Amino acid sequence: MKHLKIKASFVLSIAMILFTSLSVFAQDMNEEAAAAAQSTASNINWLIAGIAILLVFIIGMVFDILSKVGDVQKKPIINWGKINAYLALVFLVVGLAATVWEFMVHGKLTVFALPAASAHANEYDNMFMVTLALTGVVFVITQILLFWYTYKYKESPKRKALHYADNHKLELIWTIIPTLVLTVLVVRGLIVWNHMTSSKSESAMNIEMFGYQFAWNARYSGADNKLGKYDFRQMGVVNALGVDSTKEFAGDDIITSELHIPVNRDIYLHFRAKDVIHSAYLPHFRVQMNVVPGLPTKFSFTPTLTTNEMRVKLDNPNFDYILLCNKICGSAHYRMKMKVIVDSEEEFDKWIKQQPALTAKGTETNNAFSFKMKNSPLASK
Amino acid sequence: MSAVAIHTDGHHHDDHGHHKETFISKYIFSMDHKMISKQFLVTGIIMGTIGMLMSLVFRLQLAYPDTKFPIFETILGEWGKGGKLDPNFYLALITIHGTIMVFFVLTAGLSGTFSNLLIPLQLGARDMASPFMNMLSYWFFFTSSVVMISSLFVQGGPASAGWTVYPPLSALPKAIPGSGTGMTLWLVSMILFIVSSLLGGINYVATVVNMRTKGMKMTRMPLTIWAFTFTAILGILSFPVLFGGSLLLVFDRSFGTSFYLNEIPADLAGGIERVGGSPILFQHLFWFLGHPEVYIILLPALGITSEVIATNARKPIFGYRAMIGSIMAIAILSFIVWGHHMFITGMNPFLGSVFMLGTLIIAVPSAVKTFNYLGTLWQGNLRLNPQMMFAIGLVSFFISGGLTGIFLGNAALDINLHDTYFVVAHFHLVMGSAAIFGMLCGIYHWYPKMFGRTMNESLGHIHFWMTIVSAYCVFFPMHFMGLAGVPRRYYAFTAYDQFNVFVDMNKFITYAAFIGGIAQFIFLFNFFYSMFKGKKAVQNPWESNTLEWTTPVKHLHGNWPGEIPHVYRWPYDYSVPGHESDFIPQTTPDEGQLDPLSEPKAVPAPERKRVPTLEKEEAVLFTLVKRWLGFAQ
Repeated sequence: MKHLKIKASFVLSIAMILFTSLSVFAQDMNEEAAAAAQSTASNINWLIAGIAILLVFIIGMVFDILSKVGDVQKKPIINWGKINAYLALVFLVVGLAATVWEFMVHGKLTVFALPAASAHANEYDNMFMVTLALTGVVFVITQILLFWYTYKYKESPKRKALHYADNHKLELIWTIIPTLVLTVLVVRGLIVWNHMTSSKSESAMNIEMFGYQFAWNARYSGADNKLGKYDFRQMGVVNALGVDSTKEFAGDDIITSELHIPVNRDIYLHFRAKDVIHSAYLPHFRVQMNVVPGLPTKFSFTPTLTTNEMRVKLDNPNFDYILLCNKICGSAHYRMKMKVIVDSEEEFDKWIKQQPALTAKGTETNNAFSFKMKNSPLASK
Repeated sequence: MSAVAIHTDGHHHDDHGHHKETFISKYIFSMDHKMISKQFLVTGIIMGTIGMLMSLVFRLQLAYPDTKFPIFETILGEWGKGGKLDPNFYLALITIHGTIMVFFVLTAGLSGTFSNLLIPLQLGARDMASPFMNMLSYWFFFTSSVVMISSLFVQGGPASAGWTVYPPLSALPKAIPGSGTGMTLWLVSMILFIVSSLLGGINYVATVVNMRTKGMKMTRMPLTIWAFTFTAILGILSFPVLFGGSLLLVFDRSFGTSFYLNEIPADLAGGIERVGGSPILFQHLFWFLGHPEVYIILLPALGITSEVIATNARKPIFGYRAMIGSIMAIAILSFIVWGHHMFITGMNPFLGSVFMLGTLIIAVPSAVKTFNYLGTLWQGNLRLNPQMMFAIGLVSFFISGGLTGIFLGNAALDINLHDTYFVVAHFHLVMGSAAIFGMLCGIYHWYPKMFGRTMNESLGHIHFWMTIVSAYCVFFPMHFMGLAGVPRRYYAFTAYDQFNVFVDMNKFITYAAFIGGIAQFIFLFNFFYSMFKGKKAVQNPWESNTLEWTTPVKHLHGNWPGEIPHVYRWPYDYSVPGHESDFIPQTTPDEGQLDPLSEPKAVPAPERKRVPTLEKEEAVLFTLVKRWLGFAQ
């Protein structure tokens, strides 16, 4: 008799919850109709949130009622141990499938799916793929074991757990194997790191990247390939970068707000910041370096694909390389970017000669100079 | 055999209970470690809720950068004018979200709560070495929380330079509005927090070293205590460095010094030209704390799960000594790897190599821990209650997030991944989600001890499944954004055509985050409702071996009525063959074991069928795999 009552009250309460929730939505709809100016999209989202919250409450109440029924019957209706064990299996299968799906679908959106745009990018990508493969294997095996054990060894009154406290051989095995795998990764990583940090040649083209809130400037060293000295007290006085054109090497320097670089030529970037720390991030070239006020930083690399070549390869006429600021630097941090264009040597020579140097004499020198130099030992690698 | 060495006959009077307890001395300025632990927990949960709500606000912004949310203006006023979130306030939100979560929830809320609760209880001590310092520790933490929250309401907004507050951005009020009063309050709050953390840490170590009950040898301490001890040591050694670092930043900001500033023109820096310092110095000081901090967060969570997994698998934790060894190794290594946060600051490449080596070595003890967890589950009899599920979830996150650490710890790979969403995904999985799961696991497990009631199990399971699914849905896709070069701490991605492909993903992440948020409200409801209306707890609800379950359900100042129990064995005697019950509390002496310090009879290693080695290699491997997967004995 009591049994029946509980069931009846259960059905009744569900019905009531549904009724109240529906009436709440109905109210929402009326309001929405009245306020026609509001965007429907945001209202629908609020609605979804509302439905979700109510659903959770309904589910919670159902479970509560069921467990109360179980208490009365002295036999639990919901065996959470079992449910969890099966859910763990479902979670494992769905999770692994979703992971594969992610790699198939979103993997294509990463920079690793694009052709490598700099000389060291291939080596970098290989390192990445090796790490991905090794960690991927570990990931799959350990996650499978974890959730499989959760399912397989769920509590059963028939069984007693195995009192098995340790096994030195096993501990040794699972210490030594990760050590060996990591040794491989460390050694390879160190090799790549050394290549990336020491790959500058004498003839590399010196360019200064100047970051400030919230934009970038590039300063080309001109025909002499030497950057003139700057004085931070002169920033915004003689020019934005504080480079006095009368100083040695400064006359032929060129300041631009777009970064053009010639393909297959070593580029040696010198970074400088005016106010706070920025970070010059060129994801397509696997290049990033912090730009710190009062602390010179450098990075050298060799672009291997021009913007046009990349556009053809990707079949995307709007593709552009980009330099982003990747260190929080203030309110417009998210818009602090610079267009990067990799030119062929001819195009670069033409472009740079159109840019005025700091002095008229410098411009003349630059115009008389050929920037079409094939002098990159790295590019020939 | 069944004699539990504790007297509950009530004739013993409590040594510490003579003075009359007023409301203030019992609930507010309490010196009882159990009350202090509850205070830490509730403050931590409140801060956590604030931090989580902040994350929902900026997730809305990231998913709908062009949509106007009138509610923003209602809640945030000027910061959400016309329903649009202000970019400066977005940065403030991520900064305070990070600070709150890292320090206030996962440091104080996690290790403050459980170190306070468990160190005296699991070691058999009446209270902490210095209850007064313990109380001070909480009140410094509370003051620090109040200062941090109050910084939300000052002119210019709270600190907005990211939770790492790198100068010059944090030093120059002209650079960002948040670097005004808000930043000063951030530093004050941090300094108070460090004081709290040091007072607590010294106390924890002193208690563990001096106040163990008879028979509680170091090798009989539960892994929770081992983890808390090393956490406290890490804190004691590293927090003072941040203290110094913050103080110098205060000088730079307020007194015109140039510890962290170089070549900053006078007009940017309050009329004083700043030359001679180094912004990178701050990063070194910050990460000298910051990296151990990661383990200050993670180790207690791992300790808690070790205990919970062993109890609920009804099995001894696999490789107890290896677990302690790996905790030690992680703790020591964590001091020599801070530079991996700074690979691209232009530091000497050789230094980068050293930091890279150290960082990747940490993967070895971490792997040992993971395999030991799996070894504990193998052939267990798993009680899949909420705390066990959260513990399993922690292991899952620890694997997922730990493995991406191998990418980021590699200096070469870090060049293209640094400060992208890949990093966000990595640390939210391994440090955020894993540690939060450890904390929730501990709350479900020790709730009966803290409040004398149990939390609702069904709600706990719903909470678990919603949380783990939403956490993976939020953070897993972020890896791919990072690999596409999407930088973190961006207010919007609308200025970048190539990031348009992630619009849908950003929306998906936000939906998942909201589901996770709802799940936490289920938890909050369960937590506070059960406190008053939950099922009354029995003394040892999980049939656990450790000492805290020998104390009465109703809290006493002094923990045990009568004598402190003696300890006769290690805490993991579960399912010992030949015993009727599947657990033997630490207080149970073995037959003929009179002296607690003598060792009980060793349990013989289980007899295993040997894998026949004469067979073909494939056959041996096949048998082994069958055994590992549980299909053969």
